[in-house]
Amino acid sequence: MTDHHRAAISDVAAAPVGRRLFTGALLAGLAGLSRHARAADPIRLGAVLPLTGPSAATGAQEQRGLQFAVTKFNAAGGAGGRMIEILYEDNQGRPDQSVLAFNKLADLNKVPVIFTGYTGPTLAMAPLATRKKVLLVNGAAQGDRLANASPYLINTLPVVRDEAAVAARYLYETGKRKAAILFQNDAAMTSGRDDFAEAFTKLGGTVIGQEQSSFSQTDFRPAILKLTSLEPDVLFVMLTDGLGALAEQVEQAKPGFTIAGTSFFADPTALRQKGSTGWIHTQVRVKAPPETAAAFKQQAGTEMDFFGIQYANAGSIILRTIAGVMTDKAELSGEAIRTKLFAIRQFNEIIPTEFKTNTASMQIDVVKIVDGKDEFVKSYTSE
Amino acid sequence: MLLLQLLVNGLVTGCALGVVAFSFSLVYSTTKIFHVAHAGVYTLAGYLAWSLARAGMPDIVGLIVVPVVCAGFGVVIQRLLYDPLAQRRATHLVVLIASLGLLAIVQNAIAVLWSPDILHFDSTWRVQTIKLVGVTLNYAQIATVVVSVALYGATLFATRHTGIGKRIRAVASNPFLAELTRLHPRRTYAMVMALASALVAVPGMLVGFDLGLQPYTGTTVLLTGTVAVIAGGVGSLTGAFLVSIVVTVLQNLSLLVMPGQWSVGITFLIFVAFMLVRPRGLFAAA
Repeated sequence: MTDHHRAAISDVAAAPVGRRLFTGALLAGLAGLSRHARAADPIRLGAVLPLTGPSAATGAQEQRGLQFAVTKFNAAGGAGGRMIEILYEDNQGRPDQSVLAFNKLADLNKVPVIFTGYTGPTLAMAPLATRKKVLLVNGAAQGDRLANASPYLINTLPVVRDEAAVAARYLYETGKRKAAILFQNDAAMTSGRDDFAEAFTKLGGTVIGQEQSSFSQTDFRPAILKLTSLEPDVLFVMLTDGLGALAEQVEQAKPGFTIAGTSFFADPTALRQKGSTGWIHTQVRVKAPPETAAAFKQQAGTEMDFFGIQYANAGSIILRTIAGVMTDKAELSGEAIRTKLFAIRQFNEIIPTEFKTNTASMQIDVVKIVDGKDEFVKSYTSE
Repeated sequence: MLLLQLLVNGLVTGCALGVVAFSFSLVYSTTKIFHVAHAGVYTLAGYLAWSLARAGMPDIVGLIVVPVVCAGFGVVIQRLLYDPLAQRRATHLVVLIASLGLLAIVQNAIAVLWSPDILHFDSTWRVQTIKLVGVTLNYAQIATVVVSVALYGATLFATRHTGIGKRIRAVASNPFLAELTRLHPRRTYAMVMALASALVAVPGMLVGFDLGLQPYTGTTVLLTGTVAVIAGGVGSLTGAFLVSIVVTVLQNLSLLVMPGQWSVGITFLIFVAFMLVRPRGLFAAA
């Protein structure tokens, strides 16, 4: 109880009976009005995404995915009659901006949940999430360090280690012994490079060369040329962007090796290119049901790519959890939502997802791209 | 064969960068404005060409129309931004910040109006390849080299042997004297801005045909271009063009002896060492 409230009550106690009754009725009425207003108020959640800068393409798609989940949830009546509203903050993909945005959303807007992405920014916000008990929900970053960064960080897809291990295993099983790696120089993709190299070497394979690229780079010719000259059996690619350009340039160079990667290969721009035919990649189950993909396209005006699906899934998981907290009539806090999420544990929103730990377990398939479509090859399970 | 392919790839990239560099040099040596927003014009050109292509126009229409539109945009920048700042006696730093601001506006407007995603042209001619002496090139790369060299030659000729070129050189040499002799420096600045914007539009489109479009790539291209301008000797179109090619060829060839992540750093280390020896640049006038 605040000093202001105490003073108001003590004033009421000291007043004559008639005036006391009137003041009491007035306070009760105001409290009722306040409760009524609160029930109709939207539930505000936060999102810290790269909405401008080089990563804006990804951030925009993540935003569309989240908004898709929110629209669907609100259309179905919201949580206990309350609509959901997401307050978006732009971090330009930068950790320092992410910290500022996190503090604003947590301290000023008092949101219980903040959605985010990208390994670097998420790692920067994780200690704040622990301290402020705000649930941080990462829908797409896969850096290994995210798995243990904070008890209040929920990763709604497996970390890259799981996928890289599956890719290494499959490639080794199919006779590939010499691998080259092309990776993007950010935290998650560097993790992927290291994880793949470790898993592939442990199996008996050799990594004979690696080249890096920067985010949103579209000229991969020098790297392709150099790695081709090493004559690998397979080129393992850890890129989140520029896969369309890579496919075009691979088509031009016509190298004799297999190209392999992870779920990031589920990029419509790359799939459209003839050069991507024959690429092998691991795939956490990111296929949205056709009607969901169609509804997304109608709402967002663009195809539902990897990031769109992941954030629609992450949003749906959290919204279902919030509905659960509301049904329990518990206080809507980061702590309560976290507890409820682990109590529900198994979600079947857009992608079947299970939370044995802070990081989701999903089925990981190995697929082959043929004429712009994924063809199923083999299935593994992430732990 | 790897050596030859890397060399040719460097040459292609260098030719496109060379046009960016010498067009920037033209603006800088004449107006003394560090026109960072040049990167915005470069980027915008590719997106305009993409829109024309999407509207069903052949790519050649974009190659003709877009430089004209960009020339107009260049004049608008000069008239509405740089001229008013000059009239208010803004310092070089203020003009630089204004130019940076304009670049940010253009890049973000492109991301909003088109897409922050990487866009590719649908036309098939650009990815068709030919193989010559073991080197594979696509038509977009060949067009980049041919058109860039042609633009360099034409600009060099125009600045040395035409009336407009002589006027530009006179204003660049001494704007005060040019004002006294009724050469109208302000009009000349607008003319230079139009010419440079039209020029930079061409690699903006050709690189877009080859590698796709991204709203924020122009900044890196311009930064590398300005390095070439300084190393080539400020004011020297030949210096800017040739050093651009040398820089990109070096970056490509360095892959033979070191991992790619070092190539940019090593190239610029060579540049720093070179500047210590010859601070006025390779082709600077005495």
